[in-house]
Amino acid sequence: MSATLVHPRPDSPHPYPRIPRVQTLVYQTLLANRYLGSRIIPLIAVAAVALCVGLVIIVVSVMSGFLDMLLNSGRTLMGDVIIRYADPGIPHYDLLIEEIESRPEALAATPVVESFGLLKLPYGNRTEGVQVWGIDPASFDQVVDFQDSLVWKEAPPEVQAFAADMTGLEVPVFEDLPRLDPGADGGDPGVILGVEIDSAAKVRRMDGSYEVKAPAFWMPFRDVEITLIPISTSGALEKPDNRRFDVANEFQSGVYQIDSRRAMIGLDTGQRMLGLEAAPIYDNRLLDETGELKRIGTYPARVQMILVRAADGVSPEGLRDSVNLAYAAFAAKINDEDTMTIRPPDQAFVGIRTWREQLRDLIGPVEKERELMRILFSIVYLVCAGLVLSIFWSIVHEKTRDIGILRAIGASRPGVLGVFLAYGLVIGLVGAFLGALLGWSVVVNINGIHEAMGEPAPDWTWMTAFALAAVMLAIAIHAAIRGGMLRTLLSIVGGLVLAGVGTALVLHSGFLMWDPAVYYFNSIPNQVDWSSAILTMAGAIVFSVLGAAIPAAKAADTDPVKALRYE
Amino acid sequence: MNPSHDQSSSDATREPVLAASGLRKTYRMGRVPVQVLKDASIEVRSGEWVAILGASGSGKSTLLHLLGGLDRPDRDGGMIHFEGRRVSEFGGAELNTYRNRSVGFVFQFYHLLPELSVLENAMLPCLVPNRWLSATLPLLAAVIGGGVGAAVGSTFGVEILPTADPPTPSKIALLAVTCGVLGAAIGVVLFQLGQVVAERTRLRHGPQAAISRNTLEEFGLGHRLRHRPSQLSGGERQRTAIARALASEPGVLMADEPTGNLDATTGREILDLLKKRHDAGLTIVMVTHDSAVAEYADRIVRLEDGRVVESPA
Repeated sequence: MSATLVHPRPDSPHPYPRIPRVQTLVYQTLLANRYLGSRIIPLIAVAAVALCVGLVIIVVSVMSGFLDMLLNSGRTLMGDVIIRYADPGIPHYDLLIEEIESRPEALAATPVVESFGLLKLPYGNRTEGVQVWGIDPASFDQVVDFQDSLVWKEAPPEVQAFAADMTGLEVPVFEDLPRLDPGADGGDPGVILGVEIDSAAKVRRMDGSYEVKAPAFWMPFRDVEITLIPISTSGALEKPDNRRFDVANEFQSGVYQIDSRRAMIGLDTGQRMLGLEAAPIYDNRLLDETGELKRIGTYPARVQMILVRAADGVSPEGLRDSVNLAYAAFAAKINDEDTMTIRPPDQAFVGIRTWREQLRDLIGPVEKERELMRILFSIVYLVCAGLVLSIFWSIVHEKTRDIGILRAIGASRPGVLGVFLAYGLVIGLVGAFLGALLGWSVVVNINGIHEAMGEPAPDWTWMTAFALAAVMLAIAIHAAIRGGMLRTLLSIVGGLVLAGVGTALVLHSGFLMWDPAVYYFNSIPNQVDWSSAILTMAGAIVFSVLGAAIPAAKAADTDPVKALRYE
Repeated sequence: MNPSHDQSSSDATREPVLAASGLRKTYRMGRVPVQVLKDASIEVRSGEWVAILGASGSGKSTLLHLLGGLDRPDRDGGMIHFEGRRVSEFGGAELNTYRNRSVGFVFQFYHLLPELSVLENAMLPCLVPNRWLSATLPLLAAVIGGGVGAAVGSTFGVEILPTADPPTPSKIALLAVTCGVLGAAIGVVLFQLGQVVAERTRLRHGPQAAISRNTLEEFGLGHRLRHRPSQLSGGERQRTAIARALASEPGVLMADEPTGNLDATTGREILDLLKKRHDAGLTIVMVTHDSAVAEYADRIVRLEDGRVVESPA
């Protein structure tokens, strides 16, 4: 027989019409769709992917929320950029502030003096070590919205009732911004204490507000003593300065370490106590006409810090660069003035940092923890991939014959690969979106869930659990009588689980994981970190497809002849 | 022998549509090579019904698989020609097209897909798509989806970054890439969903569905179109399988023991059905071990010792 005898088929070998071809991958879509709809295993895979994604979203969102909370709190009293030069401080700081404020990147700047000191509380002979900041309330407010941090807008009702009972006790009237330095009429200077310094008189409520338990010890009724030790320009300790202050208000930054350790006094008072105020310079070799040492100039007042607020739309980094230029211009201007004998410190020794750089000791560990959590929980991607792989492996094994049929009717290897990749893609995508929905639902309601956990379970919950357990037991008995082993076993397991849940609900007497009286935040962060959520979802999809790829490749490599013999 | 044999014999001058010469095929049973086909040659003319008769294990199915492009002969193990083209030298894609459009298979065990309805099973060869578009369209959907995702991610990325994460260019880029991956996945799945919707209509009302429906109605399965294979009898399953084999209007129908799993009455019904199609011009190559079944064919050849031997008339 010769092959050359073979000729093309006649145009119309039989009277059936030629069938138009489809143009797209219909059978992949059709089969992926049917495999998904007709089996329970893919639904389990979807549920597992959803749980993994939901878990990561919840953990990372809450961690990010805590970090956000910490940063926002830490930033509360910092401004955007901090210029810092420890003792003997920055002279001519008013000129520097002027230079900074002339730049479009800066909205406002405020001088601050800083020192450690001792705070004597008015009761219990308590003396605490505190960080004292001397501030100018008006400009400080422009930079850090200080008013918003003040705790007391008016005396709470329990204090007003106490004052009414105590004849002659005057309820303080709170100004929007208290004046801290004494005016021309003298009087004690004012101080604003961190709200946690005095923790004996009041208790923090669930919503973060304070209830005054002992109105007699409520700070704005009282005065305190602050002792500061000045350091001379040569770096030597000088005689401690001790003064009495009226407590004008309390502030809350949101960071416990600040609220329990910082006291704000007036800038002038602070400069005087620390020896940073403007002072005459004498030449101890010359006498003037009155016989006193001859005054040859004035040592300018100094501050250790200048806080700067960025204009709208300017990043802290952009502001920092602008402040660096401003400092250079300021230093050049002062150095060019012959009359200015006191030069500003060299820029190389002055710290000009953004708030984030300033807080890096505080932020760094939390950021690292969050990244660690993200990496650890990213292992769930591998769980997704492993789960999808094992499920698909069994499906491909079971569908060997189907694969043979598809190859027999002309499906290509990439086409068969596509069936299972499409299948994996749908599982990953549906699981990722359901997981995002789950994560979002939990994160948004996390405070409600937390509060519900803090209460004993309502009676109907455990009653329902026990009722369902009884129903499962009845089904188990019925199944045992009918001889269905699997149904009996599943019913018994289901009944035991429900009975266990019911018992746990009865025993549950309320448990608050984060008690606001102990932990220094009022609510658990309930904002979904969508950037992490999207990353998690994309990761789950990619790993689901990767998990499906190996069984899919195995399917594509299936020899159709062997597959069709598989019966 | 088929009553139409005389007519077919009178068409002996017809050109062969399918021809194989010198086919050799060796399998390995562990380490032992077993040569199933040794220089097997066969010629099938257009409109002819050829029965390949042989004992179990004689290599009948192997020969059918080689002719149908499901398997390849040994290296230098002979040639197969279909309509003037050398099937034995086809590449993978050409072979797929050959299996899809030029031949139709009917198996002893029906081999229907259990998840699909009778109508969908019957239409299945028509659902294997144009290769160029089938690869391009989902890729296009992925690229469009990825592009939209990346654009949305890079435009609105800053909005969703928590304040703890300053929006550095690398973070925005990562977010854009992530949104791109998500967008690509959504694009492909939306494309698939669109197909499901579009094809649902086409599957029910399109020309492929109409033709397969007509075939199934002709085969007495008009009332079973939406049933699953598990709900059918053996005969109904085999009729569905034949309808599937005919769906893409093949040049040759390859039937491997089409009645091997059926009782005698049902087997006859199936053979009558094939005969009706054969009378209308269908070329059939049928493998059987049953000489009574082989009698339906125009011509019977025997497979003996790995070689095709013409059976005496």
